[in-house]
Amino acid sequence: MCFRFLAVVLTVVLAACSSPSTSTSTTASSAPAADASAAPAAAPAGDASGDTIKIGVDLPVSGADASIGIPTQNGAVLAIEEANKNGFAGGKFKLQAALLDDAVQGKHDPAAGAQNVKTFIADSDVLGMIGPFNSNVAKSEIPLTNDAGLVQISPSNTSDGLTVGDAAKALRSSHPDVNAYFRVCTNDSNQGGALAQFARKLKYGKAFIIDDNETYGKGLADSFEAHFTKLGGTALGHEHITANQQDFKALLTKIKSLNPDLIFFGGTTSTGGGLIRRQMGDVGLAKVGYMGGDGISDPEFLSTAGSLADGSYFSVAAPDATRLASAKTFVSAYTARFKSPIGGYSASAYSATEVLIAAIAKAIAADGGKVPTRAEVLANVAATKDFASPIGQIGFDKNGDILSPALTLQEVKAGKVVTVDVITLKS
Amino acid sequence: MDVFLQQVINGLSLGGIYALIALGYTMVYGIIELINFAHGDVYTLGTFFSLAVLTLLGVSGEVHGPALIGIVVLTIAVAMLLCGLTGVIIERLAYRRLRNAPRLAPLITAIGMSFILENIMQYWRGPSPIGFPQVVPNPTFHLGPVEIGAKQLLVIVLAVVMMIVLQLFIFNTKLGKAMRATAQDRDAAQLMGININTTIALTFLIGSALAGAAGFVSGVYYGSTWFFNGFAAGLKAFTAAVLGGIGNLAGAMLGGFLIGLIESLTTQFISDQWSNVVVFSVLVLVLIFRPSGLLGESLPNKV
Repeated sequence: MCFRFLAVVLTVVLAACSSPSTSTSTTASSAPAADASAAPAAAPAGDASGDTIKIGVDLPVSGADASIGIPTQNGAVLAIEEANKNGFAGGKFKLQAALLDDAVQGKHDPAAGAQNVKTFIADSDVLGMIGPFNSNVAKSEIPLTNDAGLVQISPSNTSDGLTVGDAAKALRSSHPDVNAYFRVCTNDSNQGGALAQFARKLKYGKAFIIDDNETYGKGLADSFEAHFTKLGGTALGHEHITANQQDFKALLTKIKSLNPDLIFFGGTTSTGGGLIRRQMGDVGLAKVGYMGGDGISDPEFLSTAGSLADGSYFSVAAPDATRLASAKTFVSAYTARFKSPIGGYSASAYSATEVLIAAIAKAIAADGGKVPTRAEVLANVAATKDFASPIGQIGFDKNGDILSPALTLQEVKAGKVVTVDVITLKS
Repeated sequence: MDVFLQQVINGLSLGGIYALIALGYTMVYGIIELINFAHGDVYTLGTFFSLAVLTLLGVSGEVHGPALIGIVVLTIAVAMLLCGLTGVIIERLAYRRLRNAPRLAPLITAIGMSFILENIMQYWRGPSPIGFPQVVPNPTFHLGPVEIGAKQLLVIVLAVVMMIVLQLFIFNTKLGKAMRATAQDRDAAQLMGININTTIALTFLIGSALAGAAGFVSGVYYGSTWFFNGFAAGLKAFTAAVLGGIGNLAGAMLGGFLIGLIESLTTQFISDQWSNVVVFSVLVLVLIFRPSGLLGESLPNKV
């Protein structure tokens, strides 16, 4: 009898877990300018209706990911608003942001991301999209955009396998010769390498590595471990945590008995990055260093880790826009528009959106003022070289990776995030 | 050996939280054979209520001396009361009318209540994790080679005390007798003049109040919560109840502590990512050899 109940219950629970619910989110703070001229689309499929061109934006903007997702979304929205203000394509077309949320139950969700991309693909007004934020979400989206030929630019995906190697080939299986996915940030080998160098510079020698077993977290942790040992550090061990885990005391007690001087976490704040740091204090590891990638470089980490956030180090796979001369105008426009400081990926999302808008404008000009096709927009994005943006020159290689990526290394001091170094990598 | 003992302490304190939640599952199942899926969310609600009380009292950091006891007792009491009332309301709204309906119907309404509570909490405090003030100072006590934090001690002691009080209540009071009678045979109990509705409501009151206490303790213990917290914890607690023998109070307690121990020891000696696998393998094995759980056979004690 217990069996039957358990079976029924588990089936129901699992079904509830995996339902790809999508929610459209247009938060008040980030809603694009209302478009009065956008008449309900009655045009037949395949033909972009009227004079509105949409840019899809798919990011996690609720739950634990919202603190980093919303500022990123704001960056994209700002770029679109500015293009409209400056008379995009001679004022003939109006750009509109189609904002969707890929977080389900407060966490980024690959199934929800895929659903959102299907929504974009079905809407013939959408000529390109920005996003997603997380690498595992990208994994479920790239096959769809590749199949539909819809150009996609991510501000923040860092997993290596999205652009190069057999993994990337598998993602592009429906059109192997077409690449529709681009990103304006660096990948995890670079990020893990930079963090390993950083850790060695800080004189950390014995690290224990934890990851959340997701595409991004595991990739970053593996890359860090490889580089850290190559640079003369010792990896004491490597453990994977499970989804929705809340108690890390047992794991941390085990780690404590190995006497590490650094704990490295590959993952995001929403998958445990903040709680681990906090519970390090409960088992007597407060004095041990803590390092992670860009997944924990958000305000949520500071609030979850509380007083223990100090002495944590992390990277942002983008340059620190507040320190760049090229981003000055953007930073002041952003703070004036949203009345809040920029997030780690706001400038990247803004720049990615600018690249996309420029590609659309170029395609319109080449078509003599007509609505371009998705393929034309894609070709223009792929041809981007030396595009001047707030985060520096943007150009893409044939895999969709940015040519000269930059990284920011940061530290938490007295509850505040301080930038320690900005590194530009030449590829 | 030291690490082993330390992991036992970790496991017991984690298990204490599971046990407190499992008591509610097992009580409700015992009396109306319903898996109250909203129970995990009532537990999260307990953390949210505690947080509201602490905010009202203006507590944002550690408290010492007699004030600490006052604040802890007051917060737990309010959280238990409010969660208890929530449980009673849930029973009245979603389960009572379905008491004689096919089993699947109340199970589905229970899942529905769970979603409703989650969304109410998300609306109330937003979808992001919320910090919980560190009310209880956490000095560590050294017991020979192992260290035990005050917060861990609080969890274990509270779980054991609650179970003993509950056991005394059920086996030594008239209301407890009514509950046992209702569990055994609802119709016969009614013929004997027991008010079934009141008795079942009382069960929900007590079970949900325990979840409220667990909610407070988990807030203190983890220092953070969010609206979706109850899902994973509720599933584990339900597993604990089944492992110990659903319907049996001591079984729920045993199951909770066992699962906590299995998790922490698996983490130590195998690997963290295997802990759930080992927990559920043990569950499967136990159910194969003892289909009604470890302590699940003593039917007359079922409540």
